[in-house]
Amino acid sequence: MSNQEALDPTASSTDPILEIRNLNVQFEMDRGTSRVIDDVDLDIHRGEIIGIVGESGSGKSMLASSLLDAVVEPGVTTGEIIYRSPDGESIDVLDLSEEALRKFRWEQISMVFQGALSSFNPTMAMREHFEETLEAHGYPVGSGMERAANLLSDLYLDPDRVLDSYPHELSGGMKQRALIALALVLEPEVLVMDEPTAALDLLMQRSIVSLLADIRDKYDLTMVFITHDLPLVTKLADRIGVLYAFEFVELADTESILREPAHPYTRALLNATPNLDAPLEEMRPIEGSAPDPVNVPEGCSYHERCPLATDICRDQPIFEQVTDTQAVACHHWEDIDEIPLTTEVDQ
Amino acid sequence: MKRYLLERTGQLVITVFAVMTLTFFLIRLLPGGPADAIRADLIQNNPEMSTDQINRRVEAQLNIMPDDPLHVQYVSYVSDLLRGDMGQSISQGAPVTEIIANAAPWTIFFIGTAVMIAFVIGISAGAIMAYREGTRFDNNSTVTAILMNSVPDYIYGLIFLWLLSYQLGVFPTGGRYSSSTEPTVNPLAPVETLTFFGDVLYHAALPITAIVFVAWGGWALGMRGNSIQVLGEDYLRVARLRGLPQRRIALRYVGRNAILPMYTSMLITIGFLLGGSIIIEQVFSYPGMGYYMIEALTRRDYPLMMGVFLIITITVAIGVYVADLTYGLIDPRASAGDSQ
Repeated sequence: MSNQEALDPTASSTDPILEIRNLNVQFEMDRGTSRVIDDVDLDIHRGEIIGIVGESGSGKSMLASSLLDAVVEPGVTTGEIIYRSPDGESIDVLDLSEEALRKFRWEQISMVFQGALSSFNPTMAMREHFEETLEAHGYPVGSGMERAANLLSDLYLDPDRVLDSYPHELSGGMKQRALIALALVLEPEVLVMDEPTAALDLLMQRSIVSLLADIRDKYDLTMVFITHDLPLVTKLADRIGVLYAFEFVELADTESILREPAHPYTRALLNATPNLDAPLEEMRPIEGSAPDPVNVPEGCSYHERCPLATDICRDQPIFEQVTDTQAVACHHWEDIDEIPLTTEVDQ
Repeated sequence: MKRYLLERTGQLVITVFAVMTLTFFLIRLLPGGPADAIRADLIQNNPEMSTDQINRRVEAQLNIMPDDPLHVQYVSYVSDLLRGDMGQSISQGAPVTEIIANAAPWTIFFIGTAVMIAFVIGISAGAIMAYREGTRFDNNSTVTAILMNSVPDYIYGLIFLWLLSYQLGVFPTGGRYSSSTEPTVNPLAPVETLTFFGDVLYHAALPITAIVFVAWGGWALGMRGNSIQVLGEDYLRVARLRGLPQRRIALRYVGRNAILPMYTSMLITIGFLLGGSIIIEQVFSYPGMGYYMIEALTRRDYPLMMGVFLIITITVAIGVYVADLTYGLIDPRASAGDSQ
């Protein structure tokens, strides 16, 4: 995986806002060390929407939290996360002092995370949430609240009504959109979203995804969209990274992921996607179960479940470029067409 | 809101009336009566009197008619009460209203102080314990709180009285204030007023401490549990990520949301403690409501008993009433409009 930088030409051709190198997140437990992010490298380009997909327990949320150095205790985050601000300054997020980190979060990178529906203090009106955030970061409250009102209108909410409400007076979708507005009120460069639509119904998920695309264009944001829902993220993301067992197995532009997925796991994920148009017999669950973070298989972590696996898979595969915009960590990617794609996901 | 207020006030009146009726009849069911008590007293002191004489003396002493049919007594009691007259105390020889007006402020003063102190100590201790969950401080405090909470307040009272008053003589053994101090509440005489207040506090210190010793532990454990729950909430994590100052998170996020569930029980506790202070007031010979209730019980003093019961009931009912009406102000989720 560490060869990705050299091999991925997209990293050099565009301007990365975040460079993640050798990122590890570990939890010490009685039965051993649990590595929930295993030596991950990733470049996030300025202005893109990158989707990160993976099943439950693949390390998605940990990746999201580590971007803000906010992995919960007693997790230990090591490696480098270099943030390049628009004025050319570079900082290592994991190296920041406590106060610098407090400023950095929400001003440069902010986050909307899982459980958005309970992200507001139930005994405080929405307006106060926005005001206290502005005050805590020393932003002028007057112009800040105007920006908040604009953001809320951009998200199709009535600013006055929402700001004067208490959290319990808003619906799930409204709270979700209000939280996105709250995340953007300090004009951050990057918005990390961890399963932002998980608690919402399908219609609301679709409409929030289309809102996010508009917001990105209007505010020049870089977005990291983390989800288990592959068909959803393909409607939004420019690039998609597939996480399996705490590391990336494939990273490519959305079109390639959908049409020419090069990793057996990506293919299996697509084939397992429920689709109303596909006959039931064509849907394939993925056999076996996800590896235990304490005891990840040697070599390619997917080889125990992979139909293409051979002896060579006991060695760690490196990230190889399939095309200019597609990279995969698999020894057998050239034979990938042995696994047919049975379902189609629309972009 | 208006409708809710009306309904709630109606409920309050009905509750008080129901309890009043119930206690009236329950007390009448107690064996013996004021006439028996006075008769026994007279026979003991005047062995030479004839039964007729004694009966006449008893009737003369009792201005209520304990031998009237119950419903007649009840109607006259209720109609007197509506005029603000709780009757004449048999044992104390004074109007019940006057006795209660004299005793209640003292009970309210020392119980109220004790509850407030216990609440403040308990809430602070509970919050700190939650922040340091699992540390040695937390474990020790939890054990201490449970131990102190399990011992009745009068045991502390007896220990204090024995050690600090009788053995060491640091504190007075009873009473509201020293006989040498003139009760003065006068802004024109600040020195005397302050001396009086100081003396009152000095006399109330031991009963207050005894109650605080018991009560703080309950609040602390409740607050600890609530705070730990709030500390694990999603909105707390978001608040931290948003970089809010620690102080604001502790007060506006953890404190507020953890205290909310305890607000109602605090107001009810104040009501209950008014009557629940009986033993403490006996131990410290502190003439408050509980002290007079015991007097009334031993002397079969129906009017005084009824008066004290009624005041305790009304305080509890008002405590719940106030809690209900104000809860919506501190917790927006429970505003009256939603519960309709």
